[in-house]
Amino acid sequence: MLRRGVSSSLRNALQVQKRSAASAPEKIEVFIDDQSVMVEPGTTVLQAAAMVGIEIPRFCYHERLSVAGNCRMCLVEVEKSPKPVAACAMPVMKGWRIKTNSPLTKKAREGVMEFLLTNHPLDCPICDQGGECDLQDQSMAFGSDRSRFTDVNYTGKRAVEDKDLGPLVKTVMTRCIQCTRCVRFASEIAGIPTLGSTGRGQEMQIGTYVEKMFLSELSGNVIDLCPVGALTSKPYTFTARPWETRKTESIDVLDAVGSNIVVSTRAGDVMRVIPKNNDDVNEEWISDKARFSYDGLKRQRLTTPMVRKNGELEACDWQEALMVVANKIATTPGDRMAALVGGLSDAETLTALKDLMNHLECETLCTEEKFPMDGAGTDLRSNYLLNSRLTGVEEADLVLIIGCNPRFESPVFNARIRKSWIANELDVAVIGPKVDLTYTYDHLGDSPKTIADLASGNHEFSQRLKTAKRPMIIVGSEALQREDGGAIYSAAHKLALSLQNTTEDWKVFNVLHRVAGQVAALDLGYRAGADEIAANKPALLYMLGADEAAVDRKDLQNCFIVYQGHHGDRGAEQADVILPGCAYTEKQATYVNTEGRTQQTFPAVTPPGLAREDWKIIRALSEFAGVGLPYDNIEELRGRMSEIAPNLVKYSVVEEANYFAQAGPLFGKLASALRSDEKLDTKLKGLEDFFMTDSISRASATMAKCVQAAMNEKKNRH
Amino acid sequence: MLGRLARVALVARQAPLNRGAQAPALGRLLSTDAPSAPTIRRPDAPVRQQLTDVGKYAAACLPRFVQKVQLTAGDELELLIAPEGVIPVIAFLRDNHMTQFHSLADIAGVDVPARKYRFEIVYNLLSIRYNSRIRVRTYTDELTPIDSICEIFKGANWYEREIWDMFGVMFHDHPDLRRILTDYGFEGHPQRKDFPLSGYVEVRYDDALRRVVVEPLELAQEFRKFDLKTPWEVFPNFRSSEEVPIGNLDSPQGKIEEPKK
Amino acid sequence: MRFSGTIDYSTVVKPVMSTTMPEAKRRVMSLYKAWFRAIPTIMDKFDISVSEKDCRVKIREKFEMNRNVSDIRTIDLLVMKGQMELVETLRLFKTKSHVMAFFRDSVPEKPKDFLSKFLDGQ
Repeated sequence: MLRRGVSSSLRNALQVQKRSAASAPEKIEVFIDDQSVMVEPGTTVLQAAAMVGIEIPRFCYHERLSVAGNCRMCLVEVEKSPKPVAACAMPVMKGWRIKTNSPLTKKAREGVMEFLLTNHPLDCPICDQGGECDLQDQSMAFGSDRSRFTDVNYTGKRAVEDKDLGPLVKTVMTRCIQCTRCVRFASEIAGIPTLGSTGRGQEMQIGTYVEKMFLSELSGNVIDLCPVGALTSKPYTFTARPWETRKTESIDVLDAVGSNIVVSTRAGDVMRVIPKNNDDVNEEWISDKARFSYDGLKRQRLTTPMVRKNGELEACDWQEALMVVANKIATTPGDRMAALVGGLSDAETLTALKDLMNHLECETLCTEEKFPMDGAGTDLRSNYLLNSRLTGVEEADLVLIIGCNPRFESPVFNARIRKSWIANELDVAVIGPKVDLTYTYDHLGDSPKTIADLASGNHEFSQRLKTAKRPMIIVGSEALQREDGGAIYSAAHKLALSLQNTTEDWKVFNVLHRVAGQVAALDLGYRAGADEIAANKPALLYMLGADEAAVDRKDLQNCFIVYQGHHGDRGAEQADVILPGCAYTEKQATYVNTEGRTQQTFPAVTPPGLAREDWKIIRALSEFAGVGLPYDNIEELRGRMSEIAPNLVKYSVVEEANYFAQAGPLFGKLASALRSDEKLDTKLKGLEDFFMTDSISRASATMAKCVQAAMNEKKNRH
Repeated sequence: MLGRLARVALVARQAPLNRGAQAPALGRLLSTDAPSAPTIRRPDAPVRQQLTDVGKYAAACLPRFVQKVQLTAGDELELLIAPEGVIPVIAFLRDNHMTQFHSLADIAGVDVPARKYRFEIVYNLLSIRYNSRIRVRTYTDELTPIDSICEIFKGANWYEREIWDMFGVMFHDHPDLRRILTDYGFEGHPQRKDFPLSGYVEVRYDDALRRVVVEPLELAQEFRKFDLKTPWEVFPNFRSSEEVPIGNLDSPQGKIEEPKK
Repeated sequence: MRFSGTIDYSTVVKPVMSTTMPEAKRRVMSLYKAWFRAIPTIMDKFDISVSEKDCRVKIREKFEMNRNVSDIRTIDLLVMKGQMELVETLRLFKTKSHVMAFFRDSVPEKPKDFLSKFLDGQ
């Protein structure tokens, strides 16, 4: 109840702000350090200065958060104004002459800096923020070079008790300068108003009011937001300095959003993962799983090839392992072979594997994640993409979520829905289990029949859907895992088609995937779902990072299983031969996110032990098997990839896909009918389900601690 | 002309006296108004004047070779000369009665690959007679030899060998030009900017061959590299430091110009 | 001497030793011959485990490495370096390991095709 209250008042406040900004279109002229700039009315001094390339120092202001104006660092002189004004909060007036480097401005900054530093500890040498600290940088650039702080009575500086915010965020509250960025992040972006401030003046503190952890799927972002070392990363504590790490720009693959990340490494170890700004994908947030599960990259790794001898897996060298597999391939007919790929597979490896298997006359190539193949299936690209795009939710006015929990399946996307819900009056409706999505929504029940009712107009919500100008229907890939997945899919598609406005280029139908490799696999023509393998009972099964136990060894009699992957997880346990591959931080690889955006990872560290890049393993195996795939380096392989699916080499763009009209008639005959008795459910309901969903995060000790903390927090009576 | 030169010499002789006279003033500064005392060293005006005169004199005597005369860091006299003038200029500075730079402190090399003549050769001379120093700078590229000054200063022999070894700058008429610091068989000139910090080869003792072997470099450990730019750097406009130009020959308070080549 | 046109003096450079190409070539040849003549002495003094033919091949290889150099001054500089190297060798400044360093005999050859690279860990 409290949560709702806080959220809706915030929502109103922000909407008022937005409306007032939209009403007056004429531009006005202001002068920043005598440079003229034309800005829209309502632009703040700080934004106007940024337009001419002058960044005004600030601590509390952050462009993705609401304006607080409490740090006073951005004070600048305005001609004819008696006092300096706070640039971040003050809208410009016509003809203002703003001086960002005048003596008055400098004096104001020095004064603010002096006040901040009187109560800031001098523990930079043991502070994890050292080297990337806003306070450090700005005190060097704008502070006074003399100290007037003489503590003759040894009373000491202000000290504040540290808070326990959970296993991810370490607090040293004495360092806090009360910018309230974390408070605003928690209530505006993460949607859990756990943090707040108490007291005033010298006694002001940031805290949780009662003893409570700051548990959110996005909690790690406050570490980046904090301008000082008050909130730092617990797993990264005292491990590295920012200037000695090497930064590799890469892509997160632990969910299907494909968040842009920077991997910091030192001496061949991943030290931390931080987000990289990309307005089209993840803005500047990443989920806690993307940020903190990197310690899973060092544990439970497969570091050497293994072959099962007398029932036990034994380490061997590459030659032997590849020989064993090649011999098995030679004695198995192509139609008795099959390949199963997991959710972390990259497009290069998928291409190589498909080429190899097709050369061997094997056509049974499946993904672990199911997707309805009846009807239009995966032949049309728009059938399995988030067609309105991640940013599309900011233009939509109604979102209908079917059978998924975006908060935990793609936290960053959920933050965007919430952003739109706050700022754009977006309405959300959900068919599925009633879970906390951090925003309010109309719950339309959890029966799959509701989808059909909505399409036929028999539901009370149908009218609302029809009147929506830009509706979005988001079908979770989890809902499609059911036996009647095809029927749910076709019902949702029908509903989307009925809402599709043919004149406007707005796409209603969207699929939200859970795993990073699925879209690329479908683009390359893999068949979704392992049913075919279970039915065919192959004699040789090649598992590429398949760890979700879609196929059980017991179901396949006398099957020879080859596992290629990076973690000793469920898949490797079943295997007869293990070929150790690379994790996403160790290879240059292509991934396609749920909206169809092609992005690539870059190697930040070398693979452990004898592990090799995945596509190279398949290339080497092909030589042993007498096929010899025609590419020796990644450029040649990508050339081949572009022959199969040209969109896979067009990096950081989304290829248009719009074949809804063509897809509609193909839903003629369906393999299954809607099963209205079985409720739509999602696996990820609470925070404790979120942290461990794949082989990397399952191996991570940090993620295990998070699960523990989330379970304990449930018992917290606050 | 001569009168002014005599004054130059006179001022030079007075220089130590001037410093002695300053000593009490310094003591006063430390004791009473410490906060307002300058924290940087201010060059002595008479010393500057003296150096200016010496520079002007040298430039007037050797107009063919001296391209520019300047004072750097307040009170360091520099002659920028053409490479053909190394022998006449150095010989002049050593032998002229008014200069008497009898001691060659050292010879240094500088590599700036972006320039047309990438190497700079710097001769530091000391005049014990006048308690004064001078720096002579000239330039060359990888292929143009510089005249050796071994005939003028015997001590230049090893300095020039060092520069040959470190930078690969040839010296004409050097009596014994060969490597001095690097190992026999070493390839490349390590002080050149395009020579990698790690080198090209590594050397180890091979037990089987019972001798030292040279192998292509394979770094077993990560090569440490520091990223000194802060990741949160957003205020480049406020970054530039305010430097006080100390001046050159023509305009004592003006900006120091880059030596023109 | 009469010049029909103007000379671009900026391109006129100070020679290192030779002024014409034949002269530079003569210097190269005489260095080459000097190295060849030194082979028996080197083999005798350093007691190295390579044949005379190996030495000849190696010397030729080292000279062939700079086959494409056409700048007279660069040739002169290379000749000077070669000369210095020869003196270091003949005066026994070098030790056996320095002479053997020419042969790089401890370095295994790098694999070239995909499969051997893969098995080698590249």
